[in-house]
Amino acid sequence: MKQLYLFATLAGARVAIAAEEVEAVVRLTDIAPVPGLGRHVAGLSALRSRVLTVIDVAALIHGAATPAERRELAIIADIGGHSYGLMVDEVSDICWVPEGALPLRGRLDPVWMPYARAIVEHEAVPWLLVSPSGFLENGIADQAA
Amino acid sequence: MDELLQEFISETQESLEALAGEIIAWEADPSDRGRLDAIFRFFHTVKGSCGFLHLPRFERLSHAAEDVLSDIRSGKRHPDAATVNAVLGIMDRIAELTQAVAVGAPLAQEDDEYLVAALAVHESESEAESDAPAPVPRHGSAQAAPRTIRLPLALIDQLMNGVSDMVLARNELARQLRDRAGDPALEGAFERLSGCVAEMRDAISRTRMQRIDRLFAAIPRTVRDLGRDLGKRIELSLEGGDVEMDREMVEMVVDPLIHIVRNSIDHGIETPERRRALGKPETGQLRLEARQSGNQIVIEISDDGAGIDTARLVEKAIAAGRLTPDAAARMNEAERLDLIFQAGLSTASAVTAVSGRGVGMDVVRANVERIGGTIGLDNHPGRGLRITLSVPLTLTIIPGLVLRAGGLHFAIPRAAVVEILHDNNAMLRIGEVGGARIATIRDVRHSMIDLEDVLGLDIPAEPGPRTVMVVRSASGLPFALGVSAVENHEELVIRPASPIVMASGIYAGMTLPDNGKPMLLLDTGGLARKADLSEIAEHADAVRTAGERTDAKEGTEMVAALRFEELSGERRLLQLSLIERVEELEADLFGHSGDRAFVRLKDRLVPVVNGCQGFARETVSALRLRDDRREAYYAVAAVLDIVQMPAVPDMVAMHGNLSGVCVVEGEHLEVLNPFALFASLPDEPAERKHPGRCLLADAEDGWAREILAPLLRQAGHEVLIGLPEGAAVDPSDIVLCTTSDAMQAADVLGCRTVQLRAAPQPSGPQDASIYRYDRRALMAAIAGAGQ
Repeated sequence: MKQLYLFATLAGARVAIAAEEVEAVVRLTDIAPVPGLGRHVAGLSALRSRVLTVIDVAALIHGAATPAERRELAIIADIGGHSYGLMVDEVSDICWVPEGALPLRGRLDPVWMPYARAIVEHEAVPWLLVSPSGFLENGIADQAA
Repeated sequence: MDELLQEFISETQESLEALAGEIIAWEADPSDRGRLDAIFRFFHTVKGSCGFLHLPRFERLSHAAEDVLSDIRSGKRHPDAATVNAVLGIMDRIAELTQAVAVGAPLAQEDDEYLVAALAVHESESEAESDAPAPVPRHGSAQAAPRTIRLPLALIDQLMNGVSDMVLARNELARQLRDRAGDPALEGAFERLSGCVAEMRDAISRTRMQRIDRLFAAIPRTVRDLGRDLGKRIELSLEGGDVEMDREMVEMVVDPLIHIVRNSIDHGIETPERRRALGKPETGQLRLEARQSGNQIVIEISDDGAGIDTARLVEKAIAAGRLTPDAAARMNEAERLDLIFQAGLSTASAVTAVSGRGVGMDVVRANVERIGGTIGLDNHPGRGLRITLSVPLTLTIIPGLVLRAGGLHFAIPRAAVVEILHDNNAMLRIGEVGGARIATIRDVRHSMIDLEDVLGLDIPAEPGPRTVMVVRSASGLPFALGVSAVENHEELVIRPASPIVMASGIYAGMTLPDNGKPMLLLDTGGLARKADLSEIAEHADAVRTAGERTDAKEGTEMVAALRFEELSGERRLLQLSLIERVEELEADLFGHSGDRAFVRLKDRLVPVVNGCQGFARETVSALRLRDDRREAYYAVAAVLDIVQMPAVPDMVAMHGNLSGVCVVEGEHLEVLNPFALFASLPDEPAERKHPGRCLLADAEDGWAREILAPLLRQAGHEVLIGLPEGAAVDPSDIVLCTTSDAMQAADVLGCRTVQLRAAPQPSGPQDASIYRYDRRALMAAIAGAGQ
């Protein structure tokens, strides 16, 4: 099924995100930390009059927070009426993919298991299909545990 | 079809809500045709809509009610109590069905038949006379509903966000404009835009507001039903329904309010027999009044019932083991009264269906405090009780303190802060035992935690003392919270934080200050839970510390005061309750005229009591003071902290604006005298009208028109230029003439006259005229002539 995807590098892995789940990609400026939460919540950042909760996806995957100087880009997603920014390393492309999502093949690194749903083929390489809301749901579950 | 159904449901629910009050009012005065028509129209509309939506049960019910009401309209039937009950029954059923349709639940399989049958029962057949007549709500007359449209809340939120973005863009533009060379035309255009944006923001914020009428809508019905059940006669009066408050707030307040009303009817107002025996009128008075006071909405619920029996409360508390007789003996009346807010205590001697089950005022208070409100009691045993609920105007703007901890900034609601001290304060002793830290302030021990410890931050090494705030959550005991410093006091616009942030349990929301750096609002209750202080709060210590507090109070009565530094450098105190807030004002807003100083706020001038001028800095801190009527500013160099001072200064020495000297924390400080401060304010423009108009007889006289008339108007007289045609002159009018021709004309009219002359000296001994620049004589003559 033909689909529009955003291709990005996130926590060192190639990922694809369905374009309708992405509101915008912004360059992060100031992030005000939120102490008392897990490492994966990088903090709050103001985008005009909106306040983004910035999620450090790399910390969620690898357990180590991204150093401040590498906190550059974020994908903005609106989830449950709140605005979130997911930190990404790099954004490469937005493209239509005619065949859409394909079933996962191969043995996935367990850290990615909760987040990856399928793969998308683009420029002859596979990209993991992830969803911004997936990171959040599992992020909150982690915190509760 | 779905959309139509949705529309039908929300319209029906809304009308039902509005009608609940109307129908009771109609019952009290069945001749009120307007209300009868409104009720009839409701059933008619429901019948019409459900016909084509295919809701046969609705149709049958509304049809039956419509028939009866139609008979009443045409005078074929009299609206007796039984009929009103039946109509109410049908309305209730329609409400249930609507609710069921709205949530998609199956319709309750109850029999509508008996409801319809009840309508047919005439008074003669029904039980003789209903024992308690309906309460009489004294609403204003029914108002025509303003034209409205229905909007999804999401759209309004979107508008709000849009306007906030606009404000930020405007601020950015203002910065850019300041950096460039001034072009008056451009600046003018920008000013205009700026004004429009501000207006727009106000208008959009108003869309969130709702008349308090909606909060009151359910009250008449509650009072009526409960009054009947309990056989009590109640006259209900509702006032201030046009006060507006945030719609979310309305929803938060409705439950506590209904609870208080129920309590008041159940426990407060006595039965007619008992009232007669006590020499009170048989009908009890229940009065609800709402008003806006600053950024608070105050709702007063007063009744003329029995009040709270504090002796009984104490007995109950002792019986429940919450209080030792010893501690009870030491409590003062206010503390005894406060027991009503303890969970599980009630003065009701028996558990009734209405109240007295111990789920009571404690829940009410918790609910009110959760939204940043307070609840106050004014008890007159045997004569009545007045309960005052004060809630913030909106959930979104609260007064808060900005504090610094671990190098970050946080906000905390002002209402949660009991007091603020530096940790080098002599009154404060911090002890440590087994890892637990205890802050002892004036012999009261508090659990002490550092905010950094709770949040997992490092405590930065900083010069100077740290600050200890005594904070309290809605429930639970106050505790001491160590932070780096308290920096600021401001009105914060609070917005909800994302669930992932709220999940931590220590934040209540977030705010975006002008510097564009988001800031989190701390939840004091959450902090206590996170630090595992909650156990302590649950213990019986509460009562013991309360006892200790009494001890501490027994010496001298202390009041909270603000310690500040005057512009001239002295440190002084001012009673905190007079200070509405502390504001940073731009220095060029201050001005003076003669010996009067003022500050310009938008388009009005507010007096500055300490008459300062010529500030050497850009912004000035000013205390905003208010008595019950007037406001004023007091410019200061710096606000230091909040301390406790004795209510009567240690040395009384009244002079100027000062009332004496207090010793606070080993420092002697002069105390400002609030009486002198307000007494020194300039008089407000005279509002009372002087009796009688002043007629300036010579319409052509330029001096009279341009110089005399403004003077008279300023003094509060109504001025008419030229003599009125015909005989429209009132005998109390005073005619002022500047020429003798006019004097003669005025004499003809037969009212009192005052003649003015241009020359300083009278022309002869017969001359009774007054020199026109002799203001004193002129005013005296007018006043004399007016008598």
